[in-house]
Amino acid sequence: MTTPQTAMIRKTPVAYAQQALKPKMGELHGMEVALEFEGANVENARKQLLGVTDVSCFQRFSVKGPQAAAWLAGKGMNTPAAINSWDEAAPGTMILRLGGSEFLLEDQYSGDTCPGLAKDFKQADVPGVYKVQRADAAFILSGSEALDLLSELCMLDLRDSALSGNAVVMTQIAGISATLLRQTLNGQQVYRIWCDGTYGPYLWDMLTEVAQELGGGAVGLSCHFKK
Amino acid sequence: MLSFANHDVNVMVTDGNDTNIRGDVVALSNGMKLDAVNTDGGVIKDKNKYIDSLSPLLPVGFYYKAFHKPASLFPFWEKVIRKAAGLGVVNFNYPRITKRKLNQHCDLLVIGAGPSGLSAALAAASEGLEVVLVDENRSLGGSLNYDYAGSDASRKILEELQAKVAATANIHVYLDAYAAGYYADHMVPVVTANGITRVRAKAVIVATGVFEQPPVFHNNDLPGVMLGSAAQRLINRYAVKPFNKGVVVTANAQGYRVALDLLNAGAKVAALVDMRAEGQRDDLVGELVRKGVKIYPASCVYEAVPTRDKLGVQGAVICPFDEATGQADPGKSVNIECDGIAMSAGWAPAAALLYQSGIGMGYSNEIQQFVPNRLPAGIFAAGRVNGVYCLQQRANDGMRAAAEVLRYLGKSAPQVTVEKHQGPSPSHPYPFVEHPKGKNFVDFDEDIQIKDFINAAKEGFDNIELMKRFTTVGMGPSQGKHSNMNAIRILAKIRNLPVEKIGTTTARPFFHPTPFGHLGGRSFHSHRLTSIHAWHESAGAFFVDVGAWSRPAYYQKPGKSKQQLVLEEAQAVRQSAGIIDGGTLGKIEVCGPDAALFLERFYTGKFADQKVGTTRYALLLDESGVIVDDGIASRLADELFYLTISTSNAAAVYREMQRWLQIWQLNVGLVNVTGAYGLINVAGPAAREIVGKLVSIDLSDAAFPMGAACETEVLGVPVRLVRVGFVANLAYEIHMPSAHGLNFWQALLEAGASHGIRPFGTDTQRLLRLEIGHHMPGYDTDGLTNPYEVGAESALAMDKPFFIGQRSLKIISKKKLAKILVPFVLPQEYSGEMPQDCNLVIDGSAIKGRVTSISASPAAKRIIGLAYVDPAKDKPGSVFDIRTDNGSIVKATVVETPFFNAD
Repeated sequence: MTTPQTAMIRKTPVAYAQQALKPKMGELHGMEVALEFEGANVENARKQLLGVTDVSCFQRFSVKGPQAAAWLAGKGMNTPAAINSWDEAAPGTMILRLGGSEFLLEDQYSGDTCPGLAKDFKQADVPGVYKVQRADAAFILSGSEALDLLSELCMLDLRDSALSGNAVVMTQIAGISATLLRQTLNGQQVYRIWCDGTYGPYLWDMLTEVAQELGGGAVGLSCHFKK
Repeated sequence: MLSFANHDVNVMVTDGNDTNIRGDVVALSNGMKLDAVNTDGGVIKDKNKYIDSLSPLLPVGFYYKAFHKPASLFPFWEKVIRKAAGLGVVNFNYPRITKRKLNQHCDLLVIGAGPSGLSAALAAASEGLEVVLVDENRSLGGSLNYDYAGSDASRKILEELQAKVAATANIHVYLDAYAAGYYADHMVPVVTANGITRVRAKAVIVATGVFEQPPVFHNNDLPGVMLGSAAQRLINRYAVKPFNKGVVVTANAQGYRVALDLLNAGAKVAALVDMRAEGQRDDLVGELVRKGVKIYPASCVYEAVPTRDKLGVQGAVICPFDEATGQADPGKSVNIECDGIAMSAGWAPAAALLYQSGIGMGYSNEIQQFVPNRLPAGIFAAGRVNGVYCLQQRANDGMRAAAEVLRYLGKSAPQVTVEKHQGPSPSHPYPFVEHPKGKNFVDFDEDIQIKDFINAAKEGFDNIELMKRFTTVGMGPSQGKHSNMNAIRILAKIRNLPVEKIGTTTARPFFHPTPFGHLGGRSFHSHRLTSIHAWHESAGAFFVDVGAWSRPAYYQKPGKSKQQLVLEEAQAVRQSAGIIDGGTLGKIEVCGPDAALFLERFYTGKFADQKVGTTRYALLLDESGVIVDDGIASRLADELFYLTISTSNAAAVYREMQRWLQIWQLNVGLVNVTGAYGLINVAGPAAREIVGKLVSIDLSDAAFPMGAACETEVLGVPVRLVRVGFVANLAYEIHMPSAHGLNFWQALLEAGASHGIRPFGTDTQRLLRLEIGHHMPGYDTDGLTNPYEVGAESALAMDKPFFIGQRSLKIISKKKLAKILVPFVLPQEYSGEMPQDCNLVIDGSAIKGRVTSISASPAAKRIIGLAYVDPAKDKPGSVFDIRTDNGSIVKATVVETPFFNAD
């Protein structure tokens, strides 16, 4: 039997779409990630105007089932009371309540909660809680023109007046199922988008195509997280 | 030029790729190169002028009757007619110009920025509503932009309103934009030169105003005869004097206002002809008389006198008009010299969007107009489209509508009173002047005269919808904006019915012609890729779409045909090992205490007694017993089943599972992990050795037989391993987190390199499973196939209390089968025309079935296939006939599967 000498690096779901851009790649949480596309100056400007960043490498953990909320609470997680809303589950980790009984936790850049939960979870020991294997493509959409871009790709009303601060929107973006919320990241209001990873290359292409038309484009992870 | 309001058919031009530009409203810009559309020589050198002399022989509907026989000549006539009637030439080299299609949301959408719309928008915005205001013109104001009656009072009102709108942040204005249609939930596409914005509003105010309507008289299609509002637009928008010496023919106060604007522009008004017996009785009359304009009450323009070249007007013949009978008295006619005629006979509501919203309209005899009398929730009408004509009252009506919107949205608002219309009707009930020589046009696009309606009615087309189709009234580019109301009035007269009994034609979106590039917008062709896609591409994969996925059909190599490559890939699997990316397969986890019970009900087989670590075939039917899908159910734990589903059915099957779970209310959790897990299938005699290099478990037949499944680790990563037999007797599916797909693929290729492992695609997969004898739902079944027809009785646990489709199967099982799927071979050395999928199985002249799969098989060393045949021929050795594409008959023999000795 062959065993790897070191842990294998996973591919980001959008690797195929990014390869033509030849980004400078790095690794975070065992997954390749585009750190930089065209240099800090260009990308900082895009970030302010309209930038698309792949954060599929963030760690995630998801459960569903009638006892999911109780199990998470038992693990010390703060769970949102309202359906389709999000909150901070633990320092550095956000939790999205997707419908009544499904939760998605995502460690932000500095968070490290999800691996522990995954390790603790034993299906047989927790009746009424089912682990949801995920392979999301996840993006940060930043900049003043983000709403303009979304107005082309999404039919829902995403204006400040319509989208409450902690609302989670499960909708269609560019014709595919996606989850969206608004978040403040390093003082900047940004939109976060998740979709099935197999649609990731398509959604990356659509987001960056429109972004480029509006003067923005791809932004590497380093632009948001300097370390 | 008739309207200067975006509805003039005779001034449509092309500028390069931009075609059917409306010359009456589109401003010239630098670099334009304009060609007239639908002319042959233009107005001055019109090569089709001869048709004018033939026109008495070409009554409406003539070509319906004249050219449909003999049928063989119709294509010729169709070409001639289309050339004569068509609009421009189709440019097959038209570039793809995509325009953005955006979405916008607001509290209130106000359509039309005339006095009513502006007042409504301002009133609503002042109460905090977010308002979108749309107008097709280049500036706000509607008729305030041009209808001045020689005074600047309207201009001042407009300036005030414009300033207020500009200072109101919560009014978003779209100018040069039209609201193209009304759709459910108050969705209105707003079209601009740059694209379409789908505006979704909580409420809509339609303040779209009215279209001016022409009176109808002989030669009313001459250049120089135009609507009064068109003359006003020329003067007050573009500073162009429409005539030097004009005649105004009117049936309302508007004509008097037009005359004053003409005088103010320096034109002479030779006469004002009022078709009403009573004429006008207000200050406008005195003002015109003071300025020397002669007014002819109870008169009509009997005919316009053309110039010698028929390119203009040189006079108007005026005679008394009996309003009650609609008869002119040409015996008392007067010839008045003039170079243009302005017409104002009334108005028709621009109510297309209201109609589309489901409004009810009634006919008001006070104003001779259809007005709303029943409005759907959230839709409001204001201004002239609502039957309100006085300028002050139009503003009031806008505020009244805004107040109603506020109340509709749960806010308080004061009652706003709008006074009813006072004085004579703004529209004439029958502004038509008959003439023995005809040429009194009702529809200027389609050249339809009064007599055409009379003839149509005589032929039985006396319903407005039938008359529209027979005469084609309203079917030209202006879509009846100047003709439909007049057509209704004529039909009412012909049938001696009140106008409201005639009704109106159907108003469909889009309200105005819209380029396909706008409608298409950006392409959203969503597609899914596995994490191995880049590798496939670099290896020369030829991709095919399977559902939403892009999958390799086979891997191309220079100098080799598809058939050669598929055979080579298949041989690799049979002789050593092949590897296929199956990540596209649907994958669903069914968890919980009732998981087995759920599967027992959902699929045809039994799962309650299935042992952990084993797989079972899962056949899904619909309630009528038709095969929907099949797959494999792996029991990974007492309360965890892992289902695979065919690629293109995954989403539909998951939806069905969710639906049935809602109905059955079982204690089950469903998790769709289609995208979360990658899947690689290693198949062939060397598969065990190759996979064995990566796993620590015992893969021997005894320890891990066909149908085994387990959770284990490969390369340090948790995976699910399943022993399958779809394409080969020895094959393993490895299900891994999808982000590891490429790592696993490369590791397996490396592990199998010494065995000559080769990737294969879906075309090869189809051949391989055919050699084994497996049918595939969707390929070998159709939307009517039941399990008995494919010999799947063994998958049916009819002794279960229930499964989807079971009841139907009980009925079907009592009936004689009409066809049955059988495996067949062609003669060993067959070299004739190759039968194809879907070629018919025949018996004499009777169709008995069809071929569903067929291929040359390197393993079986002959041509093999599956086909539906007469059930009487289902026994091995039976021979049946296949008719090939070239008509030749091929003898096929039923055999047993597998088609080759797999061991």
